[in-house]
Amino acid sequence: MSRGGSGYDRHITIFSPEGRLFQVEYAFKAVKTAGVTSIAVRGKDSVVFVTQKKVQDKLIDPSSVTRLFKITKYVGMLVTGLPADTRAIVQQARQQAADFRFKFGYEIPVDYLAKVLADKAQVYTQHAYMRPLGVVSMLIGIDEERGPQLFKVDPAGYYVGYKATAVGVKETEAHNFLEKKLKATPGLSYDEAVITAIGALQSVLSEEFKAADLEVGVVCDGPEGGDRAFRVLSTEDVDHFLTIISERD
Amino acid sequence: MAESQYSFSLTTFSPSGKLVQIEYALNAVAAGATSLGISAADGVVIATEKKLPSTLVDESTVQKIMTITPSIGVVYSGMGPDFRVLVRRARKTAQTYYQTYKEHIPVAQLVRETAAVMQEFTQTGGVRPFGVSLMMAGYDDNGPQLYQIDPSGSYFAWKASAIGKNMTNAKAFLEKRYSDEVGIEDAVHTALLTLKEGFEGQLSGANIEVGVVGPNRSFKVLTEAEVNDYLQEVE
Repeated sequence: MSRGGSGYDRHITIFSPEGRLFQVEYAFKAVKTAGVTSIAVRGKDSVVFVTQKKVQDKLIDPSSVTRLFKITKYVGMLVTGLPADTRAIVQQARQQAADFRFKFGYEIPVDYLAKVLADKAQVYTQHAYMRPLGVVSMLIGIDEERGPQLFKVDPAGYYVGYKATAVGVKETEAHNFLEKKLKATPGLSYDEAVITAIGALQSVLSEEFKAADLEVGVVCDGPEGGDRAFRVLSTEDVDHFLTIISERD
Repeated sequence: MAESQYSFSLTTFSPSGKLVQIEYALNAVAAGATSLGISAADGVVIATEKKLPSTLVDESTVQKIMTITPSIGVVYSGMGPDFRVLVRRARKTAQTYYQTYKEHIPVAQLVRETAAVMQEFTQTGGVRPFGVSLMMAGYDDNGPQLYQIDPSGSYFAWKASAIGKNMTNAKAFLEKRYSDEVGIEDAVHTALLTLKEGFEGQLSGANIEVGVVGPNRSFKVLTEAEVNDYLQEVE
């Protein structure tokens, strides 16, 4: 079978005959090798994301395994994909956020941070010397002017805001679930947002979770929520929501 | 930096004398959402399809038509991330010009410099061409102008043109409808009708974007309500 293309279009990010970038497409597949699914949901005054906590070995200290990262006090990031690339992009994000705060004197807005990371990702799709990172990042925060924000950045350099989204092995099923749920009930409260996110994960994976199997990160407006600060829910908090969900069913 | 390892160009001539990477880049453009532009006697309009991949996407965060200066706007077909890079460069170019001359950059000059950037990426070591074609619209002392810039860096001024998925049909439609005396309002209507030709589903202010610049030299992206008003006039 003869095919056009120099043969390198699968190795570095140059165009294939159809105008595709294979390296970028392969990077997307690498995201799924992490073997987990992550889900994020935006509510009226909060944004939450949840992911599976899969620890491969019983000897590993589970408290050192995490894919939720605090970028600034007000911006949280959930990264799905290759672990080492995760570290790289988190470092970039923290650096950019700190530089922004230093230069301009106020906290970096979520959408701007997403744009910066996406632009960096675009560079890797155009320059042959660096491969695209095999991670998809979800950024959450409460913007002073625009309220709760959820952004997703992928290896192609594409970023956009979402009302709810999913990444990973079961992302298609999760998207379908979320589309239906949000069509029925837009404008979720904080509790409902958490329940929707965890419920979606349970539904697409057909698993009953224990608090130790999940990581949940939230930003919430209002004093009970912690005044927009990003925080990772404790095991007790997660248990509380899991109980509510199982009682509903 | 490791870039020196790639100090050879990735875009090289084929035996028949073609630059295949550029041809492939054009294929990437042809796979993108349709965009078009029409230059009228008293202004320019550019428009594009804004098809979101899912209802979960927050449309207020998606903007395909970007302003480079108060008088110049640009839209694309092809790869969104590559477009952002070019917008950033174009804005920088425009600001540098303004800093030197305290006047807004003329459209033709901005087009030339942006095209030069795109050409660079077809010749420099270790990079691939941009996977976008740009439709740049502006109003300066030479009147209303519309330019199309391709991944190769070649550019032409057009009276009306289309890029992306449906460009052949759209261009044929525009050829029939265009006349030199057409005013900006008619041009907007024609643009909407052209988009409607290749559009699957109902056109509405939520799934297209329209940008207009008139004799006031102020490039504006129309709001959803304004687009819906124009659509009603066309129905």
